[in-house]
This record gives sequence, structure tokens and C-alpha cells, in this order.
Amino acid sequence: MSDNLSELLGKKGVEGGFFDSLGKLAKPDGAPSDAAMEKLAEDFLIGKANAYGTASFYDFLKPENKGKKVYVCNGTACVCAGTQEKVIETLQETFDADEIGHMTCLGRCHENSAFHYKGKNYSGTARESLKAILTSENKLNLDSYHVKANGNTILTEAFTNISDYYEPFLRALKRDSVDVLEEIKTSNVRGRGGAGFPMGMKLQFCRNVENETKFIICNADEGDPGAYSDRYLLEQRPHSVLFGMLISGYVAKANYGIVYIRAEYPEASEIVQKAIDDLRLNHLLGKNIDGSGFDFDLKIIQAQGSYICGEETALINSIEGQRPEVRVRPPFPAQKGLFNKPTTVNNVETLAALHHIISNGGEAWKRIGTERSSGTKLVCLDSYFNNPGMYEVEMGTPLSEVVNDLGGGFKSEVKALQIGGPLGGLVPISKVNELTIDFESFSNAGFLLGHASIVSIPKDYPIMELIEHLFDFASYESCGKCFPCRLGTKRGQELSEKALTSDYKIDRKLFTDLLTTLEQGSLCAHGGGIPLPVRNALHYFDDELRQYFN
Amino acid sequence: MKTAYIDNQAFEIVEGETLLSFIRRYRDKSLVPTLCDAPNLDPFGACRVCSVEVALHENGPVKTMASCHAPVAAGQYIYTSTDSVKALRKNIIELVLTDHPLDCLTCEVNGNCELQTVAAQVGIRDVRYPAGDDHLFRMKDLSHPYMTSDLSKCINCYRCVRACDEVQGEFVLSMSGRGFDSHIIKGMDTSFMESDCVSCGACSQACPTSAISDVFQSKAIQATDTTRTICTYCGVGCNLEVSTSNGEILSITAPYDAEVNQGHTCIKGRYAFKFYDHPERLDSPMIKRNGTFEKVSWNEVYDYISLKLTSYKSEFGPDSIAGISSARCTNEENYLMQKFIRTVIGTNNIDGCARVCHSPTALGMQRTYGTGAATNSIDDIKDTNCIMVIGANPTDAHPVTGAKLKQFSMKLDNVSIVIDPRRTELARYATHHIPLRPGTNVAVLNMMMYYIISEGLADAKFIENRTEGFEDFKKEILDIDLEYLEEVCGVDRNIIKDAAIAYATAPNAMSFHGLGVTEHSQGTFTVMQIADLALLTGNIGRRGVGVNPLRGQNNVQGSADMGVQPHQGAGYLDVTKEDVNKKYNEFYGVDVPMEIGYKIPEMFDAALDGKLKALWVIGEDIVQTDPNTKKVIKALEATDLVIVQELFMTETAKHADVILPGASFLEKSGTFTNGERRVQAVRQVVKPVIGSKPDGQIIVEIMNKMGYPQPEYTPDGMLEEISQIVPFFAGITWERLGKNGLQWPVAKDGTDTQILHKEDFKRGKGYFEFNAWEETKELTVHAKDFPYILTTNRELEHYNCGAMTRRTANEMILKDDYLMINPEDAKENLISEGDYVCLESPRGKVDVKARITDEVKSGILSTTFHFPEIMINNLTGDIHDSEAMCPEYKVVAVRIRKSKGKYKPAVV
Repeated sequence: MSDNLSELLGKKGVEGGFFDSLGKLAKPDGAPSDAAMEKLAEDFLIGKANAYGTASFYDFLKPENKGKKVYVCNGTACVCAGTQEKVIETLQETFDADEIGHMTCLGRCHENSAFHYKGKNYSGTARESLKAILTSENKLNLDSYHVKANGNTILTEAFTNISDYYEPFLRALKRDSVDVLEEIKTSNVRGRGGAGFPMGMKLQFCRNVENETKFIICNADEGDPGAYSDRYLLEQRPHSVLFGMLISGYVAKANYGIVYIRAEYPEASEIVQKAIDDLRLNHLLGKNIDGSGFDFDLKIIQAQGSYICGEETALINSIEGQRPEVRVRPPFPAQKGLFNKPTTVNNVETLAALHHIISNGGEAWKRIGTERSSGTKLVCLDSYFNNPGMYEVEMGTPLSEVVNDLGGGFKSEVKALQIGGPLGGLVPISKVNELTIDFESFSNAGFLLGHASIVSIPKDYPIMELIEHLFDFASYESCGKCFPCRLGTKRGQELSEKALTSDYKIDRKLFTDLLTTLEQGSLCAHGGGIPLPVRNALHYFDDELRQYFN
Repeated sequence: MKTAYIDNQAFEIVEGETLLSFIRRYRDKSLVPTLCDAPNLDPFGACRVCSVEVALHENGPVKTMASCHAPVAAGQYIYTSTDSVKALRKNIIELVLTDHPLDCLTCEVNGNCELQTVAAQVGIRDVRYPAGDDHLFRMKDLSHPYMTSDLSKCINCYRCVRACDEVQGEFVLSMSGRGFDSHIIKGMDTSFMESDCVSCGACSQACPTSAISDVFQSKAIQATDTTRTICTYCGVGCNLEVSTSNGEILSITAPYDAEVNQGHTCIKGRYAFKFYDHPERLDSPMIKRNGTFEKVSWNEVYDYISLKLTSYKSEFGPDSIAGISSARCTNEENYLMQKFIRTVIGTNNIDGCARVCHSPTALGMQRTYGTGAATNSIDDIKDTNCIMVIGANPTDAHPVTGAKLKQFSMKLDNVSIVIDPRRTELARYATHHIPLRPGTNVAVLNMMMYYIISEGLADAKFIENRTEGFEDFKKEILDIDLEYLEEVCGVDRNIIKDAAIAYATAPNAMSFHGLGVTEHSQGTFTVMQIADLALLTGNIGRRGVGVNPLRGQNNVQGSADMGVQPHQGAGYLDVTKEDVNKKYNEFYGVDVPMEIGYKIPEMFDAALDGKLKALWVIGEDIVQTDPNTKKVIKALEATDLVIVQELFMTETAKHADVILPGASFLEKSGTFTNGERRVQAVRQVVKPVIGSKPDGQIIVEIMNKMGYPQPEYTPDGMLEEISQIVPFFAGITWERLGKNGLQWPVAKDGTDTQILHKEDFKRGKGYFEFNAWEETKELTVHAKDFPYILTTNRELEHYNCGAMTRRTANEMILKDDYLMINPEDAKENLISEGDYVCLESPRGKVDVKARITDEVKSGILSTTFHFPEIMINNLTGDIHDSEAMCPEYKVVAVRIRKSKGKYKPAVV
């Protein structure tokens, strides 16, 4: 990160920002032209190299993206489901090979066969209607999945109307913001993005830093293959997220909110924008909301294809228009975040929790779930389940209940579950009965709750291939800043591939040295996290993997 | 006292410092290796080689942390060398080596490679990974005359990118791609030559390997010696570390412990040194006989000169002889030259090139404060809230200070005001840019002071306690005709008002000015107004404020300090005063004159009147750089004996009767005084090229020849003499100067001074004097027939007349002078980019190539005089600053047309 670039890119504020402009410039051809980037750099008084360096980072801005027309999902769920070769085959009947790109996880893990065409995502059987997709306006992009709660219906509660829904917000505005923050702290709601950091403390840190300009960022860059809970909230319950941002702004004394939505969820952007427009129409955005003296505005920034942008400092760099490389901490975003201003970044699902907390009090939320993991949690099940879909469960719910009762068991034999995204643990099916859905149960057993998305690893899917896939993913999505992750993920992929495709045997000491180096040495949880599922695999699937090592 | 433990031993911590800086304060640097960390860059956390283990209690459970960016906390137990952390470092380096050519023996930085050192420290013996993807195929970039890259050696530490950003502020380098594919790019993935690189070399010095380097291979270890000296190229006074082998200069780097430049310098300081042994160096004294120069011996030339000078002295009197000393020479040499002219010749006809640049600064600041020097130090930028840069383009002319000002201006909370007709690089980043019409500085500054007073923003307490003349001044200021001044300066009054308020309301405001202030008919008045502006707002006498002239040549400050002025002797003592005269007479052991001598323009007039018989010019190309070239040449032709002491056959040297080959800054010792009054040691790096002599030695020898017993030239001996006569040098000795010099005044005990006028002014109280704006005669007389205003500027790559820089590879980067012209004016005159434009002033014509740019407003043109092919000073005139006689280079009335046919060289 560069302090200077944060300052220069911040000169124009969020509206008309550098990154947003780059995205617009890329729209017609798939990548911004050199001339357009030069002009943009000149406008912001930054280097041409910065513009080029930023654009080249993103899947959907980099020069290689020029001319891509259709994108095939290569997220873990689709890969494990084995549906994507057929998708490519079908697409190749219409498109040249170099017109087909890929996107990593379109959030269609419940029906697979996912691909993206002209701002819309398709999955399931849509492939079979390719002609219709290409020729006309259609609704073929719609999908369906089960949505159900095993107890309290909070996040999945049906939306009524704006005035009823925002009534608790208007009531909160009449209270001292310290008291409102206190409710959040009382609830002990922890970040749903993976790290589980208490949200109230995060907001408190930001509140404590004096500054005229502060930002609330919603991290809607849900990139974990297998997870589509954020997608669900953004598309089906957009106001729950926006409500959370308004409250966060009020308690942190921030006046600007940014919803950073991944490019792979085009429909989500449209729906959230519509929700923002509705808020504005109802005078719930802008200056002096409801005469409270609180100003707040919201803007969507559309991401451009990079998993690492889900890491909060990379995300901040991304919004600024810098290369989304992970920043060192301290300074923490609360001290020096977006454009060097105090910033709080929260995950979609975390923000969505605030409606219940503010409406019913922090205690009400705290009562749900376990001692240290309060509230409910969304869990996504992929297409190997009999009932793929989105389930709201109370923290502490046995995993077996999710798998067997809600999910209805598996369509075919599954040997492991990867839970919590590609950096989440690999849970052998034998362990399902020992786990409950909460942060502590998972970490105590050597796994990670993370996002609580569940990807099934079928019986016949080779674990070594999964390891190779995970390293490949980690390497492809590494920001490249820290040495262990940039080099280590690549070497991990190469070792796995070599062992898979030749009689090469991996030196076990070298392999564990590599994992330790990634774990201890990486700058962020990307490189630091990838060893977890690999170690789980080595531990639980030694029989299967032994042949690749000496 | 808060402590933390390094390997179970307690040490005191400093709040807010990193683990690494804590560890390195107490333990050996090699204990914790680093790769992406660098002394002048922010912590970055990329390589992770600096990892240590941290526990909350002795031998407790540890967490691995990168020490370069993790802050230390009281009570931490930091373990630097456990088996696990050593293994981690080793494993990281092993990964690095999977993508690095292991060709150390033939590598440019063999023996001075940080990767090599760290690999050795962590004990790498083999790379266990099988061959995989790598980047060893990357091609070298040898496109640039200085900068090179071989990115197959790159370890992605980002030090070059960060240096380009955090030090120079240029953003030429970035990373491109991501993950394993991330790689360094220049511009839009182009070559160094095609990029916007300013060749400062910060990236090369920052790079821990040979991935980015330079043609001099400055990180190679062939050198047998290094010498720390001071750059000759501008008043910033960068410290340079010069590497040599067997008397040959190999390369130059910038020392990190230099207070002036902290490991940074610019294209000129770092790379433009190859003039020193250029084949065109003058290698023998010469006497012009029958129109051609004949090489003669030093004895012969000394005989010739002393005979001639003695005869003029006796026949026409001492005032028939004059000397122009050089701001490129050392203090000691300047001191000797004025001493020679005053004691041996017996005249005060001594002046220097400060006359044509900063004489109004010296005079104006003396009138207002009593001292003609920067009030503060460049380091004060760290503590200011507002900078006002007026008539200066430091990113070109003072690049290291310019880079600091640019860094300052990029921060949103800082206020920067640029008053300049051109949209200079700093103006682009400025909060307020006042693009005034050249020649209207006084109008704008009066308007600013009007607004400050009328808005009630004057610092009444400061004015009351520390100034005089305010009531009269205020009356006059409030009486100015805003409408009229707004019209003449051509800038909306609200822009000026906003800037004035910003300056006045900033807690600390600091001004910087250059030749755009001084080289005007109202130069001295402008300086006085800048000084008054500081008085008016109480911005004087503490850190982060003050008036800070950016001195053009390296020793402008020093040459004036040493008495290279016709009205003041060494130490600014007034030559017309009896007591001063007595002091000098006693000190020098001979009687020196009391009449004020000629200033440079007066020397030319005297020559044309037949009154000047001999002129001795050291290190200044007056033909190319003084205004009105034809007149200068005529004056030289009218002078019987013109002695030119030079490195090269300059345009002036061509008109000499006697040539004395002097030595470059790399070939002699002495001191230079930079723009912040810092006297720094210049140390001889190599012997003078055969046939030449250090300038000081030449003067001493001629003094001896003419009967004055001046001891041999040594820097310590000279400083001892100077410290006895120049009051503010009292405590300066060669030994005391050390690495970073001393800022005058230096008390007898060696205490130096960063900030002037803390308690009171040299003249007692600060003095307010109102001066009304007045149009220059250049325009009142000529504007009707010559409707455009030509102003002059400098380019980064070249220095003054270019005698030195044109004889380096800088010439390949900027090959000629060019004319900046606004697109409207170009269109109106049917001029396209690259066309030759015929510029004509009342004095003459020249053809210059057009560069169409909105950097200048319509009606304004700007160009440089670095190249003798153009000789812009054929156009400049005789108008001078009314007080200090500094020529008005900045306002020349011209008319333009597209040149007929091809470029024609100026007729000289």
C-alpha cells in the first residue's frame, strides 16, 4: 500500500473514484485501453504504472480479459460436482475457446453447471437452453434453493416493507449512539466473514478515532467457493444489510457507506442498488436523516474479480484503486483505512444481524446460540445434499442435524466436507457427529467454522486432486505481496501436480516445511490458511495420500 | 521505564517503534535478517524473513511476527533465534531461490547482494524443490543511458516501487499481475527509456539485488575507495558517496545518514559525473595569440597575467581590473578570489553569479531581517502545515528538496500554495495555484497581504513585539487598487484571497522562493514582501516556518558569505565603513579600498566605456547565461585581458585571452554552503586531470607571484583563516564539519544554528516596507511591438549553461532547449509540435523548437538556456532589479512566428 496513493486517489472521494472508473472503462472490451488508463492516471496525478498495475491484478480488468464473452465457474463445488467440462463443451459450440474465461464461484453451488454471460449467472439446466440465453431477454438466470431455519428465523425472516423495517433504525436515531453501540456489544455478535472478531469492539475502535470523514464498508466480496449466503442476503434481504450499515454508521460516527460487491454477483448489485434508491426515496439516506443530525450515504462499488479482495485491507486498497495487496497491521483500518481515514469493514451476514439486535436488544441475540458464539448462522449446502440450500441455524446446532435433518443426507456417498471455504478445514465424514456449528467446536477440533459453507467431497474424488486444486486456487488468488504465499502456494501446486501426473514422490519433510512456512510466515490468512485443509487431508486421508509421498 | 526482552534480556523500548528497530538498537544488525526493509522506506512486511517469535512471558507460547512492522509492547519476550524461527527464515529463502538465477559469481552485485548475504546467514545449502515455473527468462532492459534492469534477479520486495513512490514521488514503477506472476513494470509495462523515469536512481539504490541497477553498476564492489563529498549541482547540497578504483571514479551513491538528503539524490548528483574526465577538459593554460589559443606552461601564464595586471594597475588604477568568482567553487576559493581582488589588486570590483540569481534575496532579506539567508532548514518541512512556493520549480531545479515538497503536497491535510506563471509539477499537486502573469509578483503578494490584514488574520502580538513600520505599511496595503492589480496579474482575486487565508491560518507556514522571485525588475521588493508576509503572520523564528530561498548553484550562499560582492567583504561587512576597513586592513595586512566596486552588469558597461582593462572570470559562462549576449560579447571584446578559469571551452572561454584550466568539485577539497546555511566538507575524490589545478591553488599561486604571502591552499588552513574574519564562521573547523557539516552562525564552541531570528532579528526588529507594484520597462516600452512574454526556466537534466551536464549522458535524455507554448498561441501562429519558432525580442532573434503545452497560459512562453546552440540570452535585455541589479530574465517581450525553413543557429 502507498500512503501517497491513498491520498491522491482520495482527492475525489468515493464518487467518480479511480477503481469505479476503471471498471466502467473496461465494460465495452473487457479491459480498459492504455490511453484511457493514462488519462485516468493523469486525472488523479498518479503514475501510469499504478493504473496498469491495478488493472492487471483483476480477472475482469487485466489485458488478457479483453474479448472474453462468457465465463465458466471453477469454484470448488462445481469442480467437485464434475459438471463444468460439459458446460465448456456446450459453450464451445458457440464461442471460440479464447472467448471463454472463468470465474471462481458464482454462488450456484447448490445446482452447479454455473456460468456467466453478459451480466447474468446461469446454472443447473440452463446450459441446455443456451440458444435462448444468447438470443433473448430471459429469466433463465433465476435459480432456486431451499431456505429454512431450524429455530429462530432472524436472517431469513421475510421482508415486510421499508417503513416497518426501518422503524427500529429511526428509533435508534433518537437514542444516544453510545447506547446503541452498547446493544451491539451486549449481543456479542462476532464477524461472520471468518475471523469471528466481535463487531461491537470493531465499531468502538472506529468510533474512538476522531475524524470528519469515516467509512463503513460492507464486505460483499464473498469469494469462498461453496458459500452463497451473502448472495442470498444481498439478493433476497438487501435491506437487512443496508440497515446494518446505517446503524454501524450511526454508532461509529461515520457518514459514508460502501457496499463492495463481487463482480461474480451481478444480480446482487442491481438489487442492492434498487434497495438504496428506495431508501433515498424514503428519506432514509442523505443529510440529517429524520431530523436526527445524522448524515449517511451509500454507494456500491463493483469488484472486478479477485478473491483476495475479501481480505479487509486488500478490499480497502481495491476501493481506492490501488493494487489490492494486503496491508500490514497496525495501522488497523479503524485508525487508517480507506483513503487513510478511519474505516470499519464488516461482512454482509454480520451487518444483517443488526436488525434483530437493534429491534430486540443485544440480550435477545445473546440468548441464542452458545456462550461464546451467539446468534444464528447461515449455512449453505451444495448439490450433493438431497436438499441443497440455505439454512439458518442457531449457533451450537449439531453438524449432523444440518447434514442429515436439514440437508436430508447425501445423494451419493461423500467422504469429506470442506467447511468454511477453501481455507476452511477438511472434515472427514466420520467427524460429522462430533461437531457443532460454532467457532469453538470447529477450532477445538482443528477445523474452521469460517463462513460455514459446506462443499461435499464425493467418495471417488481423489484427495490429492483436491489438494492440488486448493493450492492452485490459493496460488491463482494470492496477491503476491508476501514471499511465503506468492512462492509457497505455487510450489505446493507444482509438487501436488507432479506427484499426481508422474511417479514423482513428494518429500514429506519438504511438504510439511512448506505448510509451516505458509502458516507462520504469511502476511494474511490467505497464505496462512491454506495449510489447514491440506493438513487435515494428510491427517485423515493418509491411506489415500501415502502413495504420493516418500 | 518500559522494557521488553530480547532473547530473555530486558531492554528499554521506545513507544510506537517496531520490534525490528527495537532489536537493532541493541543487537547486531545481522541477528534478524531482512530483505524488503530499507532505511528510508516505510515498513512493508513482504519478505517475512525478519520474523521473530513473541511470547507474553518467559519461554511461554509464542506467536510468529514479522518484526519490521509489528510494534513492540512492554513486557514482550522476543525470541530472535529459536530453531523454529531460523527454520522459517531458511525455508522462505529456499522458496526465493526457486525463482532466482543462481549465477552469483558472474552477477554484478556479487559480494554486495542482500539476498546472497541473507542466504548465507540462514545457511541455505540446497534447494529441495524440483524445477518448476520461474521468471529467469525475463530480458534485461538496457534502453536507458543510466537505469538498467534485469528482472530475472527480482525478488519482488517492492523496494524500488516504494522508493519511486515514498522517496521521489514519481510512481514510475509498480507491480503488475498478481500472485506468482506479479512483476515489476515501468510505466505501462514499457522500458526505462520510454517511461516517465526521472533517473533519480532511488530504485537502483533501494534494490537489494541487481534487478534494478545502473550503467555504473553502483552496487558492484570493484571500488577500492569511497569518498564522501558534496554535490556541485544545486543549493540543496546533497552528500554523495563516490566510489573509486585506482584514481578512477566508478559510481556515486547517496549515504543514508546524510541529514540533507537521507540516501536520496537526483540524476545530476548520482549520474552526471562523467564530465570530470571528458576528453574536452581543458588540460593546459593557454594564451590567445593572433587569434588562436596556444598552450603554455603554468609559469608562463602566471608571468603573463601578473605582468599584465600589474601594468593595468599602475597605468589605469586598480579599478580597471575586475573579478567574477564562481558559486560552483568552494568557500575557500571564493574567499581567496575576493581577497586577491581586494588585497592584491586593490579594488572592490568583485562579484559573482549570485548577482544574476539571488542578489535580491540577500539584499531584500538583509533589509527586512538583517540577514540575507534562509531562516530555517529543509528538515522543517516535517513540521510545517503550509508551504508557499513562489517563483521556483524545485522538482526540476532542486530535485531532492523538490521531492520533499512534492511528498508534502500529496497529503490531503497539508496546504500548498504555488505562485508561478507555469503549471509546474508542484502546481499540479498544490491546494492553491496562482498562475500569475510574469512580472506581477509584487501585485499578488500585496493582494495577499491586503486580504490577511482586512480579514483580521495578522498576528498582532508578533507585529507588536518584533516588528517596526507596520502602521504605515498597513495604511498603504489597505489602499491598493484590488481591481487594477487583479487585472494586471491575471488571476481571480478569490484564488489569491483563499491562498492568503490558507497561509495566514496555517499553524506553521513556510515559504520557498527561487529565481522567479529575484530575476525581475522588482526582485528585491518581492523578497521583502515574502519576508513581510512571514512577519505579518508571525511565521518566523521557530520550526516549520520562515523564508527559505532555494539557492540555484551549489555555493551561491557561500560565495556571498565569503565576500564575493562589491559592497560587502567577507562576512557581509560593509566595505564603506571605517571600522570595517580597519579590520580588513589589519587582518589582510594590506590596505583594501572603501569604494563600492562594480556589479557584473556595471563591469560590462565599464568595459564598453573603455574603463575596464582586465576581467578574470572563474567558472561562469557569462556569454551563454548572462542577459543580452551580444552586449556581453562586445564587453569582452572591449576588455584588453579576459582571463577565464574553466573546465571546458565554454562560450565565454572562446572569448578569453588567457585560459586557466581549473578543477572540478570531484578533484579538490574545501567547503560548500547549501541553501540552509549548512557548511559541508567537499573532499577530493580524485586528482585533477593532468594539466589542471584546483582553482584555489591557482589563485594562491598568482597571489604569491604578485607578492602577497598567501599560504598554500589547504581546506583546514583556509577555514582557520576564514573563521577569524567571518563572524558566523567563528567555530567552524575542518574537523568539526564531520559528516553533515554545520549550519551558520557557528559559535566559537562549535554550536550551530538551525533556525534564525528566534528571539530577535539581526537588525533588531523586523521591518515592514511597502512597495507598490510597477510594470517593468521591458513591457511598458516594448509590449506593443512584442506582445508575448517569454520567461525562462530550468530542466531537471541540465545545469545552467550545461557545460558539465551536456558532457554526460544526460544529453541523451534531454537533447535541446525547447519552447513551451500554449495550444491557443500555437494554433494562432500555425505552429505544430516540434516546429521551430522564431522568437524575436528588441535585442535579437533565435529559433527554438516548440513543445505545445497548457503548462503555460496563452500569451506566455517559456524556455531554457542550457544549450549554446540556442543562446536564448540573445533575447534577454538590460532591465535589472532596481535594487540589486539582478537581470530580469523572467520577463522578455517577444514576438513569434513559425520559423521559415529550417533551424538556423543563433548568430553569436
